Amino acid sequence: MADEALFLLLHNEMVSGVYKSAEQGEVENGRCITKLENMGFRVGQGLIERFTKDTARFKDELDIMKFICKDFWTTVFKKQIDNLRTNHQGIYVLQDNKFRLLTQMSAGKQYLEHASKYLAFTCGLIRGGLSNLGIKSIVTAEVSSMPACKLTSYFLTNVFSSYLSGLVVFVSCFCYLEDI
Amino acid sequence: MTVHNLYLFDRNGVCLHYSEWHRKKQAGIPKEEEYKLMYGMLFSIRSFVSKMSPLDMYAESEGKDGFLAFQTSRYKLHYYETPTGIKVVMNTDLGVGPIRDVLHHIYSALYVELVVKNPLCPLGQTVQSELFRSRLDSYVRSLPFFSARAG
Repeated sequence: MADEALFLLLHNEMVSGVYKSAEQGEVENGRCITKLENMGFRVGQGLIERFTKDTARFKDELDIMKFICKDFWTTVFKKQIDNLRTNHQGIYVLQDNKFRLLTQMSAGKQYLEHASKYLAFTCGLIRGGLSNLGIKSIVTAEVSSMPACKLTSYFLTNVFSSYLSGLVVFVSCFCYLEDI
Repeated sequence: MTVHNLYLFDRNGVCLHYSEWHRKKQAGIPKEEEYKLMYGMLFSIRSFVSKMSPLDMYAESEGKDGFLAFQTSRYKLHYYETPTGIKVVMNTDLGVGPIRDVLHHIYSALYVELVVKNPLCPLGQTVQSELFRSRLDSYVRSLPFFSARAG
């Protein structure tokens, strides 16, 4: 499918372009990942407007996450999320066992340290989609064995969670750097 | 019936990949020189074949390919080249017929999918991807003319 290859190659070039034009020191403190995530945010906002223009209003947050796992993921990556877990208190874990942007790279441990760069855009995509549906959130990703990946989204619903969000951002930057 | 080894070259003569399955005799020269020798020979044969051809190759319906394979009394060398200059070379034993589609599959389903689309594999250098190596190995082993015993 020509359009799939187009997005894949463009995304790969985007990641390497951001890293090539990064200044000294920016690579280490995660600024490049933030840039990619912000790009994904804006794209996600636009995409969700387009995809939901004919669907009915969502009943609750779980319904929104189900939409993201099924229709949104199918339209962008031509497959559904394999597993969705939640603690019903604003934390949702999406698991994709064959993430489309990583299948060509490796099947196991090779290139694992670079995987987080290729997930930043998708994290932003989810965050942008949720934000236009009225949900402020933080989305992080972890890869333990390619090409499976886990994307965790933390919904921020009240004032106290802004403290939590600061903590989560700190931990997630740590994860990007340490590859936990 | 078996496959001896496989070379993958790009258009500048860089050997992107080499793997062997049943090779009883080494060339006696370092690997780098062996790759250069192979590439140089293929380049020369290709231009020889098109110059000395008694028929106009581009007039035939499926001509345009030129050099396809050569065989000796012990082995046969199969050659496939893409428009982008990627050359797939496979040495098999004599019982194997034309395997153009096999070499084409190695190019399109393995090289393009796993190397060209992998951002961490720079083009024009030897392929480091483990996934490519293992998929290529299992594909060749699954071919009908590959037997585990060196025949």
